[in-house]
Amino acid sequence: MTQKHEFEVAMTCEGCSGAVTRILNKLEDVKFEIDLPNRLVWIESDRDVAFLTDTLKKCGKEVKYNGAK
Amino acid sequence: LCSVSLGVVGMTCGSCVQSIEQRIGSLPGVIRIKVSLEQNNATVIFDQSQHSPESLSEAIEDMGFESSLSD
Ligand SMILES: [Cu+2]
Ligand SMILES: [Cu+2]
Repeated sequence: MTQKHEFEVAMTCEGCSGAVTRILNKLEDVKFEIDLPNRLVWIESDRDVAFLTDTLKKCGKEVKYNGAK
Repeated sequence: LCSVSLGVVGMTCGSCVQSIEQRIGSLPGVIRIKVSLEQNNATVIFDQSQHSPESLSEAIEDMGFESSLSD
């Protein structure tokens, strides 16, 4: 079942949100939204949270899982 | 040791520079990295038994920035 997950990613600028966008675009089976001012990323996917967290961490910023929304 | 200059696109500020320098600079086999925001590139000194220009470029791409083997 596809869930919508909320992550807090310590993004500080458009370079960060651009990096997160490119990282997530490489996954084929996700839909996502990024709110840079609030440092939030919503991902709709049936992948598990650990995988999504590791994927987001590739940008080099801190990542925190806020739960399913 | 080898030195290579790689194109890096997508950085907007000093914090982008820092995250790339930190993450790539901490890979085993990377001796030194200097990223330039103005020139959109990264100069990397590395141990060629552990890395190649291609693998370094891929590591930067993996972080979500666009990287190319320049010149
Ligand atoms: Cu940033
Ligand atoms: Cu930046």
